[in-house]
Amino acid sequence: MRRACLYLCAALVLTTLPCLAGARRFTYIYEATTSPPGGFESENWVTWKTDKPNDHAFDQVDFRHEIEFGITDHFQLAVYLADWFYEDGHSVENEGFAYADSALELIYNLSSPAADLLGVAIYGEIKAGYRTFELESKLIAQKDIGPLVLAYNATLEATWEGEDLEEKDGEIQQSLGASYEITPHLLAGVELLHEIAIPEWREAERGFFFAGPNVSVRGGKWWATATALAQLTRAGDEPNFQLRTIVGYEF
Amino acid sequence: MIFRAFLLPALAALITGCQTASSPAPAVNAAIIQAGRSEQVSVATLRQGRSLFLTRCISCHALPAVAAHTAGEWPRLIDEMAGRARLDGKKREAVLAYILAAQASR
Repeated sequence: MRRACLYLCAALVLTTLPCLAGARRFTYIYEATTSPPGGFESENWVTWKTDKPNDHAFDQVDFRHEIEFGITDHFQLAVYLADWFYEDGHSVENEGFAYADSALELIYNLSSPAADLLGVAIYGEIKAGYRTFELESKLIAQKDIGPLVLAYNATLEATWEGEDLEEKDGEIQQSLGASYEITPHLLAGVELLHEIAIPEWREAERGFFFAGPNVSVRGGKWWATATALAQLTRAGDEPNFQLRTIVGYEF
Repeated sequence: MIFRAFLLPALAALITGCQTASSPAPAVNAAIIQAGRSEQVSVATLRQGRSLFLTRCISCHALPAVAAHTAGEWPRLIDEMAGRARLDGKKREAVLAYILAAQASR
């Protein structure tokens, strides 16, 4: 636990140094807007998960290093250079650091959340790592009402894992967020997640919920957003608490 | 059941938002075209300016109403954010021309 906190603090300090990206209001929810064409940003993510109902000693810290490019006014591309993590706990087989995967993410904006009835975007992601492959698609809806932004994501995820990628699982997620622009440099809101695992694509497990507040701060070329989520259900293999911070820098 | 219980409030909130929202950037209409013409601004430039205003600004912040700032304040504000919004000279001028014409038409 102490080690995990130290790593988390170190990661937060490192990611707060010279890195920035497309200003995000949420960390678990995507928005329907895209970066301007020619935009080039970096994002560094740190997610700390702790205290599962069936393993109170559990700690996991996930890291992501992402670069994002605006291609047109409605299309952006991002590359996850590396996802890696640290974990320990009674239920963890191999404690320590490990590389997880890398990915390609595409977002196409269909309508404006400010000018149209509803801002809509579609999202696709291809992720590959050691003995793992994943496809993810999202429908992103957003509505801007002055300084208030409402966003909703519906996500379908398919994963293949194992030596021969023989383990095939699915997951459905939906998430809802609200964020209020208090000043152009400070935003605050809430995020709500609902996840349903579908092991081997046979039968959906009972879903679990997370909810919590978020805050976002913006400087000239940088921004940082953090969300703290508590599990509202009692799913044994899910963390009771998680904290995600994303720091972005625009070049 | 839980899934539906979550989905319905989400859609209701979004739809309510749609119904109550009014655009801070009015469409290019006859009054805006007239206001632009008096400043030698073409209709195409006004339309490009509105499109850029709607897409480039909301990546970072809530879209301000064209009346939120004075005609004297807008050029400085746009200059400050032009780099981040990737607005070069002509695009910057188009956004400013649209905002000033929309203001003048009110």
